[in-house]
Amino acid sequence: MNKLIMGRYLPGDSLIYQLDPRGKFLLTFYFVGIVFLANNVASYVFLMAFVLFAVYLSKINFGFFIKGLRPIFWLILFTVLLQLFFTPSTHPIWHWGFLTLSKEGMVIASYIFVRFVLIIFISTLLTLTTTPIEISDSIESILKPLKKVNFPVTQVALMLSIALRFVPLLVDETTKIMDAQRARGVDFGEGGLIKRIKSFVPILIPLFVSSFSIAYDLAIAMESRGYKDGEGRSKYRVLKWSRRDNITVLVMLAVTIILLFIRSY
Amino acid sequence: MEKIISIKNLNYTYPDSKKPAINNLTVDIYKNEWLSIVGKNGSGKSTLTKLIDGLIDADSGTVEIDGQEINEENIWEVRTKIGIVFQNPDHQFVGATVEDDVAFGLENQGMPREQMVKEVDHALELVGMHDFKKRDPQTLSGGQKQRVAIAGVLATKPRIIIMDESTSMLDPEGRRTVLNLIQNLRQQQDLTIISITHDISETELSQRIVVLNDGQIVRDDIPKNIYNIGTNLSKFGLEEPFSDELMSTLRDSLELPEGYLNEEELMKQLWKLRSNM
Repeated sequence: MNKLIMGRYLPGDSLIYQLDPRGKFLLTFYFVGIVFLANNVASYVFLMAFVLFAVYLSKINFGFFIKGLRPIFWLILFTVLLQLFFTPSTHPIWHWGFLTLSKEGMVIASYIFVRFVLIIFISTLLTLTTTPIEISDSIESILKPLKKVNFPVTQVALMLSIALRFVPLLVDETTKIMDAQRARGVDFGEGGLIKRIKSFVPILIPLFVSSFSIAYDLAIAMESRGYKDGEGRSKYRVLKWSRRDNITVLVMLAVTIILLFIRSY
Repeated sequence: MEKIISIKNLNYTYPDSKKPAINNLTVDIYKNEWLSIVGKNGSGKSTLTKLIDGLIDADSGTVEIDGQEINEENIWEVRTKIGIVFQNPDHQFVGATVEDDVAFGLENQGMPREQMVKEVDHALELVGMHDFKKRDPQTLSGGQKQRVAIAGVLATKPRIIIMDESTSMLDPEGRRTVLNLIQNLRQQQDLTIISITHDISETELSQRIVVLNDGQIVRDDIPKNIYNIGTNLSKFGLEEPFSDELMSTLRDSLELPEGYLNEEELMKQLWKLRSNM
């Protein structure tokens, strides 16, 4: 559970780590968008080469990216098989009942596969090189214009960072409660689905109660340290946009232009 | 001696309770002193802390901090003079890293960033945690976490530090470091320390002990005299100090001087007995 949410960031130092998280965050989304522009073999090869280059620049072991694929392996397999056998074609290679295997199907299936890999790799690159707090700072900075319509941006950002900060603590708390229940004879791994779900109720309720008591303690501690309503606060962490971030944006622009060129070629 | 906190006829009852948590309490606390407030659970110790910091409003009576009576208008200003270190180190961390957490109080004051960076470094140096600046609090030991919490409090330059059972969740090693640190800081930074505890052995470094029971002060004296109450301490839900307990048992068979001895003094006495033989 801890690994799933928090364990993604990998401490390290390389060009990709030093990029401004706001830029990384937005460019990652942008890249996911332009992946859908690719329409032929050359364009996919080009995008793949770009992603592998970015992975190389990050100096992170390639294995971590492969691991990123694992959680959605079944989804990828299912989608690829679906495309492979259900793409309608006038020249099927192989035909059995409602299943059709054709050249077009194989091409589309491989495109889909590469698309998945591209998207997973680039977003894994973001989460491996950016701490959760940097991501929450980026979101705050990106949402800043909403202040004009009285959206409490700073409060939401603080909420987000406190939430992130307390995830490992609540995981510990859960483990403790489960151990306490086990000590009294609860077996979490046994019985049918309904029984297993039911056995989680005695975990959720104490967890709920203890998170309220933590919240109360934290609120008192924050107030005693002078936290009022989030107004008039200064910021200790600052994000710095530098030349390398400009260059990254330009590189991304160049990638887009080349992609558009290959696409219409 | 100059007063820094002056509490007069303070009363407080929790909304869902009939018994007052603080019952007509009057006490003065002096500059640069280390005062221990001891008492069993429910004696009103933590309520008193919250009243001193204005985190809850008293039913009647006054709290004066550094010559200023706490009221709605000056509460935030008064609060900057008081820093509280709470019991559970995990429940008071706001920042994602050590330095972020120390900066939290300064951010609240709206301090410019350049100055903040200096203050954070300085505060972390004072508690000897500068090397851990970039660390995630989750990776620190209990004692280290409390030292960071102390740094967070020190950064805002308070006059008074309240230790609200801050060492009760620490191992003996962590407890000793934190208490010694507080002792040094009190001398260097001219701080007033109020430490709240239910463990009498934590009061050895303090100059004065106030015993609370049912929201009232039942004893207010120097540690030696308080320890001398001996078995009567248990009336207030407190254990006698270990050396005292040992002595009263030893008196059955050995001749020992009257009055309280701390562990070291007792050890000397015992050695003397041995050499007399």
